[in-house]
Amino acid sequence: MSIGGSDLDRAITQLRACRPIPENQVRELCYKARELLIEEGNVVGVDAPVTICGDIHGQFHDLMELFRVGGDVPDTNYLFMGDFVDRGFYSLESFLLLLCLKVRYPDRITLIRGNHESRQITTVYGFYDECLRKYGSANVWRYCCEVFDYLALGALVTGAATSLSPTDGPLADNTNIENFPEADAEIEIETLNSNGEIMYRYARNSDSQSSASQATSNPASSSPIAPTPSRTGPAGTGATSSANGSSRNDTGAILCVHGGLSPLIDTIDKIRLLDRKQEVPHEGAMCDLLWSDPDEIDGWGLSPRGAGFLFGADIVKCFNHKNDLSLIARAHQLVMEGFKEMFDSTIVTVWSAPNYCYRCGNVAAILELGEDGSNAGYVRRSNGDQGGGGGGWILGSNVGIGNSGANGGNSNTVGGVNRRLSSVLGDIGKGREGPGRRYRVFEAAPQDSRGMPAKKPVADYFL
Amino acid sequence: MALVAAPSNDRKRVKVYELKNNDWFDRGTGFCKGVVLSQDDCKILVASEDDPTRQLLETKISKDDGYQKQQDTLIVWTEQNGTDMALSFQEPEGCAGIWDFVNEVQSRLQSLAPEDGLSDDIGESINPILLPTPELGNLHEIENLMRSANSTTGGREALAKFILAEKYIPKLIPLVSMAEDLESASDLHRLCSIMKMLILLNDASVIEYVVTDDVILGVVGALEYDPDFPLHKANHRQYLSDESRFKEVVRIEDQDIRRKIHYTYRLQYLKDVVLARILDDPTFSVLNSLIFFHQVDIVQHLQANGAFLKELFGIFGAVEQDLQRKKDAVLFIQQCCAIAKSIQASNRASLYQNFVNNGLLEVIQYALRHHDASVRVAGTDILVALIDHDALMVRSKIFQAIQEKTKPLTDTLIELLLIEVDLGVKAQMADAIKILLDPNANSASIEALGRTNSDFLAKVRGTLPTVPQTDNFIHNFYDESAKKLFQPLKDLEGRTSMDDLTVQEVSLYSHLVEVLCFFIRQHSFRSKYFILSEGLGARVAQLMDCPEKHLKLTALKYFRTCIGLHDEFHNRQLIQNRLFEPILKILFDTMPRDNLLNSACLELFEFIKRENIKMIVTHLVETYREKLQTITYVDTFQSLILRYDQMHEPATTQELENSFTSVDSDTHTPARVNLIHPGKWGQALKDVDAEEEAYFNGSDDEDDALPGAAKPVLNGASPVRPLVNYPDDEGDDDMDILASSAVATSPNTSSATQTQDTPTTSPTTKANAATPPERISEKRRREEDGEDELLASISTTSSKRRASVNSNSSVASTGSLSRLRSRKPNINSGKDNGAPKKISLSIPLKSGGEGGEGD
Repeated sequence: MSIGGSDLDRAITQLRACRPIPENQVRELCYKARELLIEEGNVVGVDAPVTICGDIHGQFHDLMELFRVGGDVPDTNYLFMGDFVDRGFYSLESFLLLLCLKVRYPDRITLIRGNHESRQITTVYGFYDECLRKYGSANVWRYCCEVFDYLALGALVTGAATSLSPTDGPLADNTNIENFPEADAEIEIETLNSNGEIMYRYARNSDSQSSASQATSNPASSSPIAPTPSRTGPAGTGATSSANGSSRNDTGAILCVHGGLSPLIDTIDKIRLLDRKQEVPHEGAMCDLLWSDPDEIDGWGLSPRGAGFLFGADIVKCFNHKNDLSLIARAHQLVMEGFKEMFDSTIVTVWSAPNYCYRCGNVAAILELGEDGSNAGYVRRSNGDQGGGGGGWILGSNVGIGNSGANGGNSNTVGGVNRRLSSVLGDIGKGREGPGRRYRVFEAAPQDSRGMPAKKPVADYFL
Repeated sequence: MALVAAPSNDRKRVKVYELKNNDWFDRGTGFCKGVVLSQDDCKILVASEDDPTRQLLETKISKDDGYQKQQDTLIVWTEQNGTDMALSFQEPEGCAGIWDFVNEVQSRLQSLAPEDGLSDDIGESINPILLPTPELGNLHEIENLMRSANSTTGGREALAKFILAEKYIPKLIPLVSMAEDLESASDLHRLCSIMKMLILLNDASVIEYVVTDDVILGVVGALEYDPDFPLHKANHRQYLSDESRFKEVVRIEDQDIRRKIHYTYRLQYLKDVVLARILDDPTFSVLNSLIFFHQVDIVQHLQANGAFLKELFGIFGAVEQDLQRKKDAVLFIQQCCAIAKSIQASNRASLYQNFVNNGLLEVIQYALRHHDASVRVAGTDILVALIDHDALMVRSKIFQAIQEKTKPLTDTLIELLLIEVDLGVKAQMADAIKILLDPNANSASIEALGRTNSDFLAKVRGTLPTVPQTDNFIHNFYDESAKKLFQPLKDLEGRTSMDDLTVQEVSLYSHLVEVLCFFIRQHSFRSKYFILSEGLGARVAQLMDCPEKHLKLTALKYFRTCIGLHDEFHNRQLIQNRLFEPILKILFDTMPRDNLLNSACLELFEFIKRENIKMIVTHLVETYREKLQTITYVDTFQSLILRYDQMHEPATTQELENSFTSVDSDTHTPARVNLIHPGKWGQALKDVDAEEEAYFNGSDDEDDALPGAAKPVLNGASPVRPLVNYPDDEGDDDMDILASSAVATSPNTSSATQTQDTPTTSPTTKANAATPPERISEKRRREEDGEDELLASISTTSSKRRASVNSNSSVASTGSLSRLRSRKPNINSGKDNGAPKKISLSIPLKSGGEGGEGD
């Protein structure tokens, strides 16, 4: 009955085929996951390289597409920022697959909690019904909700590189080659389509680019992004680097959280003082982390969602500075382009559910952060050494870091306290450079690969 | 022109509904009549059946309003002021009478109307559409004609009329098999598109028609060939033609009801499977409302059908040998109860009343003891639904059983919880015990009942034996049953090793501790005495020694709950039994690591520090000073020691205290300090509460309802209100709860509270510090007003009880939670904008179409 090694692999195979596993296996899986998650801090330490993903919402086939585009587990390290369930018709399969992968490869995949990982929300938005339909009782839903209570509230990515080593993938058809940075320029942002073709590339600090980017980043970095990104600059990016022009290959940490910041949390260490094992409360720090949204306002504002807050650029910049962060990555809001950088690239929204609810027509994105060459003594492969093709960079950099994640979380965070403290005292005025960011944009899985999405019909009926 | 004659005004019993916040609000039951006051002034009146002098409805029939008759007993229209109304008749004849009256009046009004600009509209709307008789050869043409008609409101209306009048759908259906024979994919795809368009016309009569026996298979047959999935073919026909899916435990004689059962199932199938992906919101709510009204009729029929009930409950008698039939009967009753959750309170009440009179509680007892876990699940489901509906009734039945010396349900539940092996069922039973003993259980639904139909309520109540006080019930529980329930915990005494707990034991202990947590919050003094006399605190502490970390965590939560109550009794218990020792042990065991257990410990001590619980601070520092001093990776423990030192020399350390605790606030920008709200987190010091209350009493009239409701809140976790508050009928009450919860709670890290904690803070500072909660209540109020929240609503009726069940208790019943009022997203095509005003009941069924932007 216990779900160990080969059983687990069998469960993964079954779930990958979008077939639910039996109830007793779900229970075992959830118990195993609970044991793992209880060992994680409220903010999990994660080493770059890592691929950051936003909302999934039960769109199982699109999750498969995500793995196709981003690389499979365990070849690619993943960080999912919550909202695995509800809305789509395959919440159960999606969440259980992610959970299986977590149990099977605990160091390769990190799951944090979204506002939909909650009893109240799932009873309204579909996950509860789905479990009831698929198993005939709410037991599986209960097991899953129990796991939700153990999920971490955020993650802190360290060791990300400031610049990308360029891919040598082909250019996408509509790429405007004239806007391309010099071959030797440091690449800050690159966007690839689902075939690994470069849609655009964006250098840090190059003169021509910075003027263009100022135009984009200018006051309203959140203004709707032009649908044809190649002309004006990076779609979704608001983007530019800091002004000091240093090219050190070292960046501040990246905080990943489902919603956003909380007025009750001014340092990341404060998150550590929460007892997260509970239903998502209706207010308070834990609630805010899962519910807030960035917005073009000064300071804090009321959220139209009725939970969490809105927060402005000043809040983000102050928080990032105080905590020595170069970027906050979050999900929680649908963005038509899949990702959207705001506030001079101090915060980014990543959305990974293409054609949300099977009809929103949006594309999805994942965010890849490269590994800083100096991190943990591992040297990233040089340009010439890439495996070729669009995926070479991420695959190559993953070779050999096998066990660095095993104890990474703990030591990292403890060490991080001192580092952050000193930065508050000594480092004032110096903004951190953002990490190099590679966005892979993808569309909904081809319809013929998935069958017609539908809910499971009621099996028998008396009434 | 002849005058319209008023319909024969025999008493037509009718329910009046009004659409409020997307929910059909029951305005009451009464008798309906049509009256002719003058040539052009005809009215529909409904007089309350309780008080004939009270008019539930008085509406003038105008020529423009879109009256619609749906099914046989429903008339729906929009008032001049934009309100959507519905009349639900008891008898189809009554409905037909009023319907004819409305039609006559309208046609006469229209003929009277002067020829003005308006006639254009009329002309357009009745401009008939003509589609050629369908053949495989002209499907393309038909599709195009329909598509262009589909783009205007008038066109859609005309299309719907034409389709029904010309019996167009039966003409289309034979083409499906013809195209199949010819293997003509393009024709099949066209037929599918045409059929989709017909359904998405969002005309209730069309949708009602397509699920009838004659055409349903043909319709879903066409829908099997979705051009969006050219390589796939669905198997709807196969699924729907499988008659074995319909389980008829007891034969339902009424043909009409049988038909409605099938229709409901097909509508559900359309909604979940056939149209799941393409359903727009208007169609979604039409489907939901059709399902809803069918279900109301079905349930009403069944519960009033004595012979049926007798046979149904007779299945559980000794005569019946067929075990499968017994099982099916339990599942049937479970499904009835599930449906009942979404129907009106008064209907639900009579359903349960009739069920209970026929022996529902015996059925529950039977189901709970069934060897098949799925039946036990169903049994607890029914029980929880019943308690949710009327806890008082369940309790009175239990009393009755005690008096009659039969085994009360409580004892059955307890026995079963202790031996249950299915961990899912076990969890559900633990929940059922909590709900049964929740003093606040379903007070909300009783209010709702009262509002709906006070007379009816009185009737229901009258039939019960004298309603015992909930308090008595709980009293009795502690006298009789509580010992049995917690015996396993007590048996831990003397157990030397906690290393060898079985899975079953671990699960049982965590449920028991969770139940205990619930009890100490809900029944304060009785549980206190009980815990003291049974020595349960030390037993729970023992659990912290086990290797299972989640059980440690659960045990830790018990102590956190105790401390959160700000009750000297509990605090003294903890101190006297030296129960901080195991907590500190967990802290030290986990200390170098950053994990959940460690954070939970830190949170507990942080809470003690923040709330400055002097008794505990003194105990901790005096007993464990050296130990605490070694913990430096967070400042919590140094602050505790500092607080202790200050308590003993308050005068001199004032400055130090300030400089220490206000470190955070110094780094805040002023804007942030303003928005940091003491109202948000945990429980404020009592004296601070008093200050704040005084402040509110003194300065803000609007908030005068505040002080009474202030209650301890745990870790910001025990919700006093639902996750999101929604404007609803009880908006004002909610607001008060909200506002007071905002006052009663305080942030953990805010500089504002820390300032308040300083012993010698001047009154001025306190007043200032107390300002932010007002902002919160303001904030919440504005949210209450805002209609456009992204989140759908979770019914507030059950929120109180649910809120008091702690986080681990799952939401036991979903129906009551699922009253959903989602804002419609703008992601649909413009179709619904210009659509004719159809009945669109967003009744308490789940809506799946709410996917707007964000979240």
